[in-house]
Amino acid sequence: MRTGKRFQLRLARALLALLAILMLLPMVQTFLYSFSSIPEMKAFMKTRGSRDEAAWMEAHLSPHILSLGQYEQILIKDHTVLGYFINSVGYAAAILFGQALIIPALAFGLSKFRFRGREVIFFLILILMLLPFQVTMVPNVLTLRFLGMLNTPWAVVLPMWFAPFYIFLLRQYMIALPDELLEAASMDGAGPFRSFLRIVLPVCRPVLGAAAALSFAENWNLVEQPLTYLSSRPELMPLSTVFNQLAGENTGFEFAGAALYILPALLVYLFFQEDILSGIQLTEMK
Amino acid sequence: MYKKFRQAWPFLLPGLAGLLLFYFIPFVGGVWYSLTDGSFENKFVGLQNYTTVWQNQMFQLGLRNTMELSLICAPALFLLSFLLAAVLHRIRPAGAFFRSSVLMPYLMPSSAVLIIWLLWFDYGGPVNRLLTVLGGQRVDWLMGAELRLPVILLFLWKNLGFCVIVFLSALQAIPDVLYEYATLEGAGFRKQTFAITLPLVVPSAFLVLILSFVSAFRIFKEVFFIGGAYPEEPLYTLQNYMNNMYGKLNYQNVTTAAYIFAGMVFVLFGVLFLSQRQALRRLNGGD
Repeated sequence: MRTGKRFQLRLARALLALLAILMLLPMVQTFLYSFSSIPEMKAFMKTRGSRDEAAWMEAHLSPHILSLGQYEQILIKDHTVLGYFINSVGYAAAILFGQALIIPALAFGLSKFRFRGREVIFFLILILMLLPFQVTMVPNVLTLRFLGMLNTPWAVVLPMWFAPFYIFLLRQYMIALPDELLEAASMDGAGPFRSFLRIVLPVCRPVLGAAAALSFAENWNLVEQPLTYLSSRPELMPLSTVFNQLAGENTGFEFAGAALYILPALLVYLFFQEDILSGIQLTEMK
Repeated sequence: MYKKFRQAWPFLLPGLAGLLLFYFIPFVGGVWYSLTDGSFENKFVGLQNYTTVWQNQMFQLGLRNTMELSLICAPALFLLSFLLAAVLHRIRPAGAFFRSSVLMPYLMPSSAVLIIWLLWFDYGGPVNRLLTVLGGQRVDWLMGAELRLPVILLFLWKNLGFCVIVFLSALQAIPDVLYEYATLEGAGFRKQTFAITLPLVVPSAFLVLILSFVSAFRIFKEVFFIGGAYPEEPLYTLQNYMNNMYGKLNYQNVTTAAYIFAGMVFVLFGVLFLSQRQALRRLNGGD
C-alpha cells in the first residue's frame, strides 16, 4: 500500500513535469529561434507546408549560429513591427489607466456602502460578466456609433474601462474585508474618501495586482475589438492581430517579433505572479 | 459599513455612468433595432428579423460551430483544471514550480505563440513526427476539420492556468482539520472526497464551469490566429458571422443574432445552475 502510494506520487510528478515543459516550450522555443539569423529562419520556414511524405521539417531547438540579425531588422532597419508594438503599448496603457481610475472606486462603492438597490446593481454586473463577447459587443457598437468613435482608438479603449470581470474580482475581495478596519478609521475622523485611499487600496494590494496583471494580459492580446471596431483603419491595429499575417509572409524575423511581444507579458507575469496566486478569490459568490 | 448613499455616489458615479452608456442602455435600446427593418422609414417588422436570421445558413453554421467548440472546450477545460488542481493540491509544498508554469500561458499573448503552434502542427512538424513514431499516420492538421484540434489545444493551453488557480484556492480554503477528523473516524480517501471535498468545492466548480463557457464562446480568437479572418467551414464561428454582418452595416442582423445567442446562453446557464443546486442538495443530504 505504502509503496503503491509513493509510486503514484512519483508518476503524478513525472506527468506534471511533462505538462510543465509543454506549457513553457512555446515561449522558450520562440526566444531561442529569435536568435537565429534571418536567412537560416527563412530557409527553415520555407520547409513548412510540404506534402512530401519523405520529408520532415528539421527538428531543432537552438539556432545553429547565434545572431542578432532578426532584432536588428525589427528594431533598427524596419519599423513595421515596432509601430504595431507601440500601438499595443498605447492600448494597454490607456485601458489600464482608465480602469485604475474607475473600477476600484466602483467596487468600493458596491461593497462598503449600504443603500437600496446595491444588490440589484451587482446582479446586473454579474449578468453582464457572463454574457458572451458576441452579445456585449453589440451595445458597445451602438454607443460607439452614436458617439462617432468607431474606427478611432477610443472604440477599443473606452468600453474596456468598465469591464465587468474586474469589477466583480475587486468587489469579491473588498466585501470580505472586515468592517472594523473602516470603523477604526472613522473614529479617527477619516471619511470614506480618505479611508479608501489610505486603508482599502493598500489592503487590497494582492487583488489590485492580480487584476492589473490579468487585465494587461487581456489588453495585450486584443483581437475581437480591433478587428471589428477598427476594420477600416489597419494602421491602428495592435500587434496581436498582425502575427497571423506575419507568420504567412515568411519574413525571417517573425520570431524576434514574437519574442518582443512576449517580453512585456513575461515581465508583468514575473512581477505579479504572487499577487495572482493569492489575490484571486472568486468564491463566496451569492 | 457606510450607510449614507450621499457618500457613496462619488465612488459609483463614473463607473455606473459608463456601464449605463456602453452596456445597459444600448442593450435595451438595441431591441428596437432587432424589431425594425433598417430601411429609411425604419418600419416595425415584429419578429421578422428573428426568423430571417434564424434561417440564415451562415448564422446556423456559425452558431453550430460555436456551440460545438464550446461544448468540447468548456468541459475539457473544467475537467482538466480540476484534475490538475487536485494533484497540485496533494503535492502542495513542491507544487510551486508546476503551479506557476501552468499559470504562465494565461498571461502570455497567444497571438505571439501561434507561429510556434503552426510549426508544431505542420505536415512535417513535431506532432506528426511523434504520431509516426507511435506507429500512426501523418495528419494534415492545418486543413479542413482537423484544424479544430490545434485551435482547441491552443485554447486549452492558454486558459488552463486560470481555472486551476481558482480550483486551487477553493481546495486550499478547506481546513485541514476536517480531513484529520475524518481520518480519525476511519474515513478513506474516497469517502473524504465525496463527503468533504466535493460539497465544499461545488460553488467554485460551478463558477469555473460558467467562466469556462464564457471564455470558450470567445474561441474566435484562436480561430482567427490559426484559420485567419475567413476560416474554412469547420471553424466559421458566430463571431465571424457577426463581423461579416457588421461589415455590411447590417445592424438589424447583428443585434438580432446577439439576442438569439444571449437567449440560448441563458438557457444553458440556467440548466447548469439548477443542476448545481441539485448536486449540492444530493451531496449535503446523501449518506
